Amino acid sequence: MERKLSEYISLSQTIDVTKSSKKIKVGILSSFTINGLDETLTVKCSELDIEYKSYVAGYNQYNQEILDPKSNLYLSAPDITFLIIDIRTLLNEIFHHPYSISSSERKKIVKEKISELRNLILQFKKNCRSKLIISNFSLPSYSPSGLIETKSEFGFHDMISEINQELSKIAKDESSVYVYNFNQFVSKFGEKNIFDYRQFFIGDIKIAFDYIPYLANDLMGYIKPMLGLNKKCIVLDLDNTLWGGIVGEDEFDGIELGQSSNGKAFVEFQKHLLSLWQQGIILAINSKNNFEDAIKVIREHPDMILKEEHFASLQINWNDKAQNLKAISEELNIGLGSIVYFDDDPVNQERIKQEIPEVLTVKLPEDPSQYTDILMSLNDFNVLQKTDEDLKRGKMYSQQRQRVELEQSTKNIDDFLKQLNIKVKIKKADKFTIPRISQLTLKTNQFNLTTKRYQEEDIIKFSSDNNMIVGCAQIEDKFGDSGITNAFIIEKNDKEWKIDTFLLSCRIIGRGIEDAIISYILKEAKNQGVEKIRADFISTKKNSPAEGFLPNCGFKKENEHWIYDLKDPIKSPHHLLLEAE
Amino acid sequence: MSEKLYTIISKVFSVPISVINDESGPETIESWDSFNILILVDELENNFNIKFSVSEIIDIKNVKDIKRHLKNHGVV
Repeated sequence: MERKLSEYISLSQTIDVTKSSKKIKVGILSSFTINGLDETLTVKCSELDIEYKSYVAGYNQYNQEILDPKSNLYLSAPDITFLIIDIRTLLNEIFHHPYSISSSERKKIVKEKISELRNLILQFKKNCRSKLIISNFSLPSYSPSGLIETKSEFGFHDMISEINQELSKIAKDESSVYVYNFNQFVSKFGEKNIFDYRQFFIGDIKIAFDYIPYLANDLMGYIKPMLGLNKKCIVLDLDNTLWGGIVGEDEFDGIELGQSSNGKAFVEFQKHLLSLWQQGIILAINSKNNFEDAIKVIREHPDMILKEEHFASLQINWNDKAQNLKAISEELNIGLGSIVYFDDDPVNQERIKQEIPEVLTVKLPEDPSQYTDILMSLNDFNVLQKTDEDLKRGKMYSQQRQRVELEQSTKNIDDFLKQLNIKVKIKKADKFTIPRISQLTLKTNQFNLTTKRYQEEDIIKFSSDNNMIVGCAQIEDKFGDSGITNAFIIEKNDKEWKIDTFLLSCRIIGRGIEDAIISYILKEAKNQGVEKIRADFISTKKNSPAEGFLPNCGFKKENEHWIYDLKDPIKSPHHLLLEAE
Repeated sequence: MSEKLYTIISKVFSVPISVINDESGPETIESWDSFNILILVDELENNFNIKFSVSEIIDIKNVKDIKRHLKNHGVV
């Protein structure tokens, strides 16, 4: 349940998040009174330990703020800016009297409005590095032409649909611009609820304040992935979570799945989980059961939508559930903070909340008919860009399981590595790899020397700088393609190069890949007559896996930095093949 | 009515109940602005299960006015 706006406003006065490693600067521009949004975002950010700063433009000042290169908005240097314009403001007189003019005049007006919006977006981009989230326009349920609105030649509703479509097209071409589907927001909660005539007449309020918290919730959907707070994995209980009843007691034929009303609810829930898996969300099981009982349902039940191949880890045993969750996190090498946990039992929910607060434990009601709605309401799986690697993630995790099986059956590590036939392909930053390089800097926590976070725009800037090298590596082995799983950024000087960023996706650590890539960089530097390479290790809560890397590669500590003297011989591993573009 | 009303006013404007009286208004309560009045109206409507008209809302200048309108809606 969402809290009331008045609660957010009073809570916001008591909040003090400073010195958090997660910071966000937000710009808010709107064409009407949107009081309370800033306060609600303050509270919602503080709950995620985010240091929130904002600039809220004056009432209906969005044009001036965007068009004036010296505006206060730009001075505040936001990371993300929300621009919310309502349809009444955009269409002005035409909103009430669309049929006072001809259809060709309506078309002309729509063209003008689109070019106004395009200009605002382009000016914003020119003046500011912030991401821009622009809302689209809600389609009113009313039309003065009544029933025959749908027969009108480029009618009132067509005008708004056309503007929305064109707006989406503009955003598709601009990597830092996103359309917030405000029209969908209004249809979700209902026009009669969102638009309150009393609040409109008294205060020019066009989103009733009961709904500001829900709007803020949607907007948080953009903030979370910017700070790498999006979730990657759903861990599921089995009994009364994926099917009704308890397989150990009710037996294979006695569980509810498929036919009954409750059974349909579980099937629906599974279908939505599968669609998230197809988008790259990892699924895993954490259940207290006899393994044989439970796996039989997963393998053989005709109404089971999720199959064994969809689960990256199956912790089905009588161990403590918190211990199992930690085992899943270790097995899959993903942080506990990336996990969402679904379990119908309130006692288990409470236990996990207390024991592992980083995990997002979902409050599931007893009634399974609500499960799907709760799953779909989570805005934690959003990403701001989707790469090929994301979509293939489910498959990659099953390949990983096969690698582990090989490792366990091979006696020594060198034999195992040789058998993998690893191929490392070094690539330059280009329009295909830039989104992934940015994503890796935003998401990689463990094997990351400096944990510097870069948006796509930053990477574009670096890659066009002659004094910098931005690269990445794609890794393949006999089990499949792991995609681009390494990135590096180097600042070049004549005598010394500085490693700004060097990171490796956790799923490929420990196979000598990092050694091969660093030795490639060292050789490149040597070939170009460089004398030294400087690197830093900036310690965080999570990056201990990268701690020993520099000294192991032969870097020596001098003052605060790690230095590699290129007069020293450069070692490189022999079990893998390295190619550079 | 007064006790419940004062509790709501105190919450919405973030002021202690002890400073609220019939004459309280924008001069004595700093956070008393047009937006917070709307928040207050929303809270009153939910708590007393009534609905104010626009003219009643814009007529509210102090606590006395609120009491008068509540009485007109049958809140005692």
